[in-house]
Amino acid sequence: MGIVKDLLKGLAVTGRTMIGTITGRELVTRPYPHVKREKPQRFHGRHVLNRYPDGMEKCIGCELCAGACPAECIYVRGKENDIDNPVSPGERFGYVYEINMLRCIFCGLCVEACPTEAITMTHLFEMSTTNREDGIYTKDELLMSPDGKVPHMFPDDPLADLGELDTADGWVRATAPGGRAAYQGVRMWAGTPGVGDWSPEPSQEERDRRSGDG
Amino acid sequence: MTTEREMVDTVTITVDGVEHQVPAGELLIKAAQDKGTYIPRFCWHERMAPVGMCRMCLVEIETPRGPALVPACTTPVNDGMVVDTKGATVAKAQEAVLEYLLINHPLDCPVCDKGGECPLQDQAMSHGPGESRFVEFKRTFEKPISISELVLLDRERCILCARCTRFSEEVSGDPLIEFIDRGNHVQVNTFPDEPFRSYFSGNTVQICPVGALTAKPYRFRARPWDLEKVESSSLFDTAHPRIEIHTSHDVVLRFTGVDNDATNHGWLSDKARFGFQYISSDDRVLVPLVRQDGEHVEAEWNEALQHAADRLGMIKDESGGEALAVLGGAQGTNEDAYALSRFARQVLGTNNVDARMDDALASHFLAATVDRARINDLDTADTIVLWGPDLKEEHPTLYLRARRAAQDLGVELVVVHPRANGLDDRAGHKITYRPGGGFALLEAFGRGDHPEFDAAVNGKKVVALVGMTDLADGPKLPEAVAAYLRSKAASCKILPLNSRGNTYGALDMGLAPDLLPGRVALDSESAGRLAGHWGQIPARPGRDTRGILEAVVAGEIRGLVLVGADPVRDVPDSALVAEAFEAAEFVVSIDTFVHDSNRSADVILPAATLSEKDGTVTNVEGRVQRVNQIRRPPGQTRTDWAILEDLSALIGSPMGLTSAETITKEIAEVAPVYAGVSWDLLEWDHRDGVVLPIEGPAPLTHIPVMLEGHGAPQAEFTLHAARVMYDDGVRLRHSPALRKLAPGAIACINPADAPKLGAREGARVRLVTRQGEGEFDVVLDEGTPSGVVYVPLNQRGGVSLGTDPVVRVTVVT
Ligand code: SF4
Ligand code: SF4
Ligand code: SF4
Ligand code: FES
Repeated sequence: MGIVKDLLKGLAVTGRTMIGTITGRELVTRPYPHVKREKPQRFHGRHVLNRYPDGMEKCIGCELCAGACPAECIYVRGKENDIDNPVSPGERFGYVYEINMLRCIFCGLCVEACPTEAITMTHLFEMSTTNREDGIYTKDELLMSPDGKVPHMFPDDPLADLGELDTADGWVRATAPGGRAAYQGVRMWAGTPGVGDWSPEPSQEERDRRSGDG
Repeated sequence: MTTEREMVDTVTITVDGVEHQVPAGELLIKAAQDKGTYIPRFCWHERMAPVGMCRMCLVEIETPRGPALVPACTTPVNDGMVVDTKGATVAKAQEAVLEYLLINHPLDCPVCDKGGECPLQDQAMSHGPGESRFVEFKRTFEKPISISELVLLDRERCILCARCTRFSEEVSGDPLIEFIDRGNHVQVNTFPDEPFRSYFSGNTVQICPVGALTAKPYRFRARPWDLEKVESSSLFDTAHPRIEIHTSHDVVLRFTGVDNDATNHGWLSDKARFGFQYISSDDRVLVPLVRQDGEHVEAEWNEALQHAADRLGMIKDESGGEALAVLGGAQGTNEDAYALSRFARQVLGTNNVDARMDDALASHFLAATVDRARINDLDTADTIVLWGPDLKEEHPTLYLRARRAAQDLGVELVVVHPRANGLDDRAGHKITYRPGGGFALLEAFGRGDHPEFDAAVNGKKVVALVGMTDLADGPKLPEAVAAYLRSKAASCKILPLNSRGNTYGALDMGLAPDLLPGRVALDSESAGRLAGHWGQIPARPGRDTRGILEAVVAGEIRGLVLVGADPVRDVPDSALVAEAFEAAEFVVSIDTFVHDSNRSADVILPAATLSEKDGTVTNVEGRVQRVNQIRRPPGQTRTDWAILEDLSALIGSPMGLTSAETITKEIAEVAPVYAGVSWDLLEWDHRDGVVLPIEGPAPLTHIPVMLEGHGAPQAEFTLHAARVMYDDGVRLRHSPALRKLAPGAIACINPADAPKLGAREGARVRLVTRQGEGEFDVVLDEGTPSGVVYVPLNQRGGVSLGTDPVVRVTVVT
């Protein structure tokens, strides 16, 4: 007696889900890769190395990201900028930059460590390869081109959704900028890579004038 | 040692509520540090006099007038002193000092080479206010300016601690960096037309507490957190200063000095500090090379070894071991030298071995001087007599130590040298003589012609630093000088000087025709100890380097084994070497580079070098220290001992050496003075090394020499040819940063001699001696006395002029 009742109860779940799926009311799986889920805004996907709006690279080769990385999958080498033809503002630029995506755990600590917001994460997560070497992303593959487009490793891949690279995580360092807690939670850059800078802090005179002491 | 310590008076001080007994008169900062309380500091450095510039070390002490803030680095301890290093007042003062230091300090940390190991960063975190109140613009300077070939200065980062200026003035004696301007604009800088050309400039980079002074060879090469480190000893200095080797991703990126009480006190010469680039040079020999039809072609190890073994074996069978000879071995570890010594005796059957390049003192004198001084004896002597090379050029650690003794410890310094010498400004007496006139001068001393010399020496506690001032006087003069001083002084300890890497270790391992391992004469009874390990060894003493080269020319020696040696450049009589290499039937070279001496060798076997092998080395005072491996030997390079072991097996007389550590054990068994030396001892109980013999007398006693020599040469010009710090030696040639510092082929003459010769600065002159001739660029130099021509040895574009001091000078242009 009880057995039949339980069986019917179970079948009812199956039936409901079946109908729900067909009608689209209770969709659990997606016909990936034709349809993709929307990812949360702070999704940690593949990294990108950003540029300033004037085309200069943001990375200064300081190796702080490599030092912060718990998986030790970042390899950076700095080099001195040629004064007449600098790659980045200041004395030093990132000469070699590699991330081994096979080891990366996508924790985002590199993004947190970076003093210039050179490295951020995008929404791209399809990075399977057929050999291990392709798992190591070099600087050429990570760095956005001067027009703000981010190169895709396998643009012809049926899975590739180039749009994913245009969206960066909305990550904001908990204490950015200048270590002031008042900025916590305040969104400091747009959700797209490349334009991750804010207008410069006003000078002392400007501040004084605004606050009325000057 | 402990007895000395116990004799020091102690006082009782209370630091943060805990009572301590500390030596009376010691500075508070040091006393507290030794008792485990670290007081933050920027300007104070243990090896320099305090100045109290930075105020970071403020602490509170109780005074009769109430508590007061005083700088711990300039306050000596008093009995009953009560010190607070952590209280609220102190913390506030320290925060204020740091805030003040940071007013003008740039936010360069991410691109600053000091970042990650920066005392300013660290102490801003540990003692700073945590947040800056300043938003004003900072003072700016032009970003790094180059103040020498090796050092960059970023004045924005300087916190004006005066460590660099004090070092160059007080420690190295070339005050080329100073503060200029006033007030807010004070900056450290060099004199406008004088670069920071000091042989010790790298030390300022190491002691600068911020990234104001940085080293060009290390610029942006790595960050501290990706460095791997190991302690080792430098072979660019015969005192073997302790260094730390830093690598990143298996590439050696820098050496730093490690403070060792017995030798270098933390300082390094620039050669010892920056002489690492050759290790990763692209020119390293990485695969065995075999000569075929006049060209070197790459070969497999087994082919190359087999070829070398076949030919060496054949020569031995046909003409006996005496037709073979071994040159070199002074640049490697003791283990390599031991393997080479054993290889020569046991496998090749010859005593024709020499690690000296015919420019050094007698083997017995170098290896087993009775009463060998320790470097620390310099500090406690009455008088230091330096009659030898310019220490600043050839023995930088000894130079710094002798300088300190004379300047700060009240030791009288007597310098006998043919021209200006790095220690002149600290010498109580300076006696100059014509090159080649050493024996004549010594006779004059004997006659009492130099009473001030007698006064400094007679009946005093003397430490004598003796060696070859140049090539003119020959190797016997230093022995005669030592004998003379021993006869006059109350006690005389001697440091016999030789400038090549690990020569002392090599001689201790028997790399001389008349020595066996452990400072044992070939003919002595203890030679029997070897028999168990080495089997039968040839009894007749072999030939020294000169003898070997002459025998090669005469056809008596047919095969040569060169190990890390470049006799073409190093042996003074270069004509003889050239002839010998022409005549040699078969040459095997174990080396890191192809150079003039092995360019036509039949087989070149690629060797590992410092940082790529473990072992021990022995310095000028007989101190044995460890060298450590941190990097894989590149390519197919291997350690010398392993190569020699394989060769010995192929020749049919395997030595059975299995690892560097077991070789050290074997050395301790067969070499009497090395008894008791082990890696455990050097790694645990004696990290600074042990001076040999650990106990018991040295087995070899030196036979005093006859006081005989030649009179001073009579000629218009005499030649003073001496080694300088930067030359065209193989390793320096492949170190780009140091290579350009060599003076080049120059001849220094006194300005007074210039009109006589019709030469001006930059003119080209031809120098002709009996053994060589060549063209040099004239440099007018006050330091060279009239009638003397000074030529730095082994320079690019230069030639060897031999050992005869008489020189003819003619102007070419
Ligand atoms: S990405 Fe950022 S943290 Fe990493 S090296 Fe470049 S600047 Fe430094
Ligand atoms: S000196 Fe120290 S505190 Fe100053 S920028 Fe360099 S790392 Fe930062
Ligand atoms: S350069 Fe460095 S060592 Fe010299 S005064 Fe400035 S902070 Fe001190
Ligand atoms: S360390 Fe004492 S004042 Fe600088």
